[in-house]
Amino acid sequence: MIEVDRLSKTFPGRTGDGAVEALKDVSLTIRDGEFLTVLGPSGCGKTTLLRIMAGLESHDSGEIRVDGKAITGPGPDRAMVFQSFALLPWATIIANVAFGLELRGVAKSEREARAEQLIKLVGLSGFEKKLPGQLSGGMQQRVGLARALAVDPKILLMDEPFGALDEQTRRLLQEELLAIWEQSRKTVLFITHSMEEAVLLGDRVVLMSPRPGRIVDIVEVPLARPRASAVDDMSGSAEFAAITADLWRRLRAMQQSGQRADAPVPVGASA
Amino acid sequence: MNVATMKSRQVHPPRFSAGAMAGRVGAGPIGLLIGAILWELIGRVAEMPFFPPLSAVLVRLGELTADGLIIGNLFNSLGNLVIGFAISAVVGVLIGMLMGAYRKVEMALDFYVFALLTAPSLVFAPLFFSIFGAGNPRASIVGVIILYTIFIVIVNTTAAIRSVPKPLIEMGRSYCANDRQLFTKIILPSAMPLIMAGLRLGMGRAVKGMINGEMFIAIVGLGKVVSSAGDRFDAEGVLAVLLVIVCVALVAVKIVQVVDSRLTGWLPSTSRQRRRNA
Repeated sequence: MIEVDRLSKTFPGRTGDGAVEALKDVSLTIRDGEFLTVLGPSGCGKTTLLRIMAGLESHDSGEIRVDGKAITGPGPDRAMVFQSFALLPWATIIANVAFGLELRGVAKSEREARAEQLIKLVGLSGFEKKLPGQLSGGMQQRVGLARALAVDPKILLMDEPFGALDEQTRRLLQEELLAIWEQSRKTVLFITHSMEEAVLLGDRVVLMSPRPGRIVDIVEVPLARPRASAVDDMSGSAEFAAITADLWRRLRAMQQSGQRADAPVPVGASA
Repeated sequence: MNVATMKSRQVHPPRFSAGAMAGRVGAGPIGLLIGAILWELIGRVAEMPFFPPLSAVLVRLGELTADGLIIGNLFNSLGNLVIGFAISAVVGVLIGMLMGAYRKVEMALDFYVFALLTAPSLVFAPLFFSIFGAGNPRASIVGVIILYTIFIVIVNTTAAIRSVPKPLIEMGRSYCANDRQLFTKIILPSAMPLIMAGLRLGMGRAVKGMINGEMFIAIVGLGKVVSSAGDRFDAEGVLAVLLVIVCVALVAVKIVQVVDSRLTGWLPSTSRQRRRNA
């Protein structure tokens, strides 16, 4: 179980008065094995929340506990999948997948055997000796996912992992991620700016709002599991449409109030 | 292009066309051959004392070698080059890494590095000469070589460390890499292409520094042979030694290139090509 307890984080501005409250009193409980998606406009602190969980960012007050223990830095119980893939361009696919294990001192034959299994799981058999630059974006992110799964973490932290991919590749990877998750039942925290993606994947959708970054609502997604084989039917269903439409209404309201706060638009142009 | 060559191209490349020769032998050797022929022809036609034809230069090179002036001095010069380049590479990469990693080190040293990078390094030759004295010309020449070489190595290494993508470092940290692992498994390999580019440039400058230093101090090495040939108005002699120096420079840069391609073979071939031609 992950407990986020009144977490706050402010980034100091360059001049001192431009400080940004990325997170303010964010509290949240994530159940073991839950797939939680976090949705919000840019600047709502969703990525900051994930980075603090990964141990890549400090926080000002509050804490995050994993199974009761407060996290202070990166740990073997968590593994991250990056929007930019963050693959080592000089290392082969198998070496990239095995990288987390290499850092832990696992012997080469053992870690490559493990990497081999995961390469198969994400459908990249035959590409073991290729370099990341020789693969498409979708394939590169499969490598990123395999690398995270290779260290067998309890928690998968995914930072807009499919944000850099085209629509069709993204849909395929969403289905595959669901299939993998339905078998492994890891706890997943998945950041996205797409409401369809948030609803399609998540057990619950955490809706966040900017300035200051906070949770405005947590929406239960009643769509039946397993979803991997039913994505097409589900994404056409009335239930799915109703939830995403509701999320969009609320996001649009945030975007518009955000626009007014950032830069005043001409009176006639405001909706 | 006529039908016959088009047809033969589809089946197999034409054997005896100039294009195919260039493809097989490489445009480089052909360029060299043409250069040599032009040199010989112009030298013979012009009949100027300071532009002897290639054959006369090669004859003179044979004489100088027979006199024992080339081989011994060549090894002397190469010794200076190796020592000067090795010190520059090790110390330069080290300083460059510190400057790339620590903002404060960079702020402290930045000015000196850029000042000395652009300063004509030869002006320090008399300084070295008076410090080390006539009894130890090798130290002076090595000093000059280092001044020619080290700053370009530092500047490139600093940029190399800076250019390591931040997401890669974060990835390493998130997978619990310690500082040593971050350095050896992420920062160093990622910075390697730019570090090697600096060493390649450094090698070219080291050869220049070696000859300039030796000519200035003029007691040892190929530089001495050049300057004494110049004093005798021996154009063939000057050009003969120049040929040797060019060969030394080409071989030295080639060695760095071979090491480079071993270490950075993962770079996409297009950017390799661009770097090599740079």
